[in-house]
Amino acid sequence: MNLDSLTSKEKEILEKLKLVMDPEVAVNVVDLGLIYEVHYQEELNRIHIVMTLSTRGCPLGDTIMRNIEVVVTDMFPNMDVYVELTWEPEWSPELITEDGRNAIDQ
Amino acid sequence: MQAGLSTKNAPSPKIVLPHYIFGAISFLVATVLLFFVSSDFVGHYLSPKLLSITHILVLGWITMIIFGALYQLIPVVMEVKLFSEKLAMSTFIIFGIGLITLSVSFWTFNFGRSIGLESAGYLILVSMILFAFNTILSAAKTERKTIENTFIVTSIFWLMLTICIGILMVLNFAFHFIPGSHLQLLKMHAHLGIIGWFLLLVIGVASKLMPMFLIVHKLPRRLLNYAYYLINAGLALLAFGYYFYSEKWFLSLASFMVIIGIAMFLRFNYIAFSKRIRKKLDVGMKLSATGFVLLAISILFGIFSVLSIDFFASIQTRIEIAYGVLIILGFLTSLVLGQTYKTLPFIIWLQKYQSKVGKVKVPLPVELYSDKIANYHFYTFILGILLLIVGILYANILIIKTSSILLIITALLYNYNVFKIIFHKNSGK
Repeated sequence: MNLDSLTSKEKEILEKLKLVMDPEVAVNVVDLGLIYEVHYQEELNRIHIVMTLSTRGCPLGDTIMRNIEVVVTDMFPNMDVYVELTWEPEWSPELITEDGRNAIDQ
Repeated sequence: MQAGLSTKNAPSPKIVLPHYIFGAISFLVATVLLFFVSSDFVGHYLSPKLLSITHILVLGWITMIIFGALYQLIPVVMEVKLFSEKLAMSTFIIFGIGLITLSVSFWTFNFGRSIGLESAGYLILVSMILFAFNTILSAAKTERKTIENTFIVTSIFWLMLTICIGILMVLNFAFHFIPGSHLQLLKMHAHLGIIGWFLLLVIGVASKLMPMFLIVHKLPRRLLNYAYYLINAGLALLAFGYYFYSEKWFLSLASFMVIIGIAMFLRFNYIAFSKRIRKKLDVGMKLSATGFVLLAISILFGIFSVLSIDFFASIQTRIEIAYGVLIILGFLTSLVLGQTYKTLPFIIWLQKYQSKVGKVKVPLPVELYSDKIANYHFYTFILGILLLIVGILYANILIIKTSSILLIITALLYNYNVFKIIFHKNSGK
């Protein structure tokens, strides 16, 4: 995800998403590289997040998605939050950030 | 629901948890019995008490937990809902009653007619048919036709065949209608169960879960395809050979095919472990990795067992017992111990905290059990199993008794953690 293309609100949302952990590896979803896009769409009164999971059939997938929805709704209670799951492009370990790699082995 | 998500497919914990409780207690019972029958390990393996302990381990401990885990994992691996939860509960009750009857009947068996064994055999057969019906109908709904799913479905067919041959053996003890040796039938029964049921199932589930836990992608899946055809073809030949054509060259060829197939799977695992992003292994993964090492060691014992090398002639029976112990109490037990920590905490965590994540601070699944206790039993287990093998090979009852005490400690500590997880009190604030 290109951070430079994000608005200040979208960066704020991304920062907040660092509170959402993958319970298996205890690393947040942003540093795991699961978040592909964040759109603050004021005209639609909607926040649209495009994300993936590290593997299809992840048993914790919808719990993680619900967690994202709760966290973002908490930030913007008057907006609709839409979390979209995609498998394209497929997630790969290269998407994990440096902080994520360090956190995995702690 | 979006494609690829499975939490909503998961069955009620009321179906899954009794399997873990029954399994954990069976493991403890088996280790305690092992202490009292240590001397049987230096005799022949066709001993009623060893048969009883073996069945408590393979059915009450390993198969019971596999059944519970499969009911939970089928939505993960196959992305479908379980066909029927009521059927799963009925299966558990029939299987449990059958297994207790079987264990008690074996303990007092005198190799004649046993109504207890026959009744237990039928109950277990019925429960297996119900299990097969439930899982195969679930599998039929999946759109994901992967090699992992094929391994799992094939293992269920071998399980059915294993039980049928077991019942034939029980009836044959009473009516002697099958010509030939009981030992050949026993070897066929044991190998169909160990390779056909356990190993194929383990490969199917592990090749899906291990990369997920280790965080590793782009593994050479062709190795799994080779493993599938080699193991199944080798096993079919081995089963045929044990009864109809037990020439050494034929059994060696069949065993060789199975061994190469297992080596392909171990190679797949080795690549997964060496390419993993998650370098630090938690106790669940340490136990699982130990299981695969024990599998590799048991293959060596299997080779000695099949080849019947003259040099080892005086300890041939001990090698065969050590081979069985390494697979059941080594490889499979280690894997089940480890995978308990990778499944059970998540089942309870989802039950207790799924609706609370993000709203209140919740513990992580790993915080539902004592990591210290789990690590203690990791070491007592390794020491226990190694001493047991040494004790069997040297026919030393004192070493066997010492090893069984270590295994009892392992089972007690494991039970402590299992019940700590199951009875975890909601701590979300």
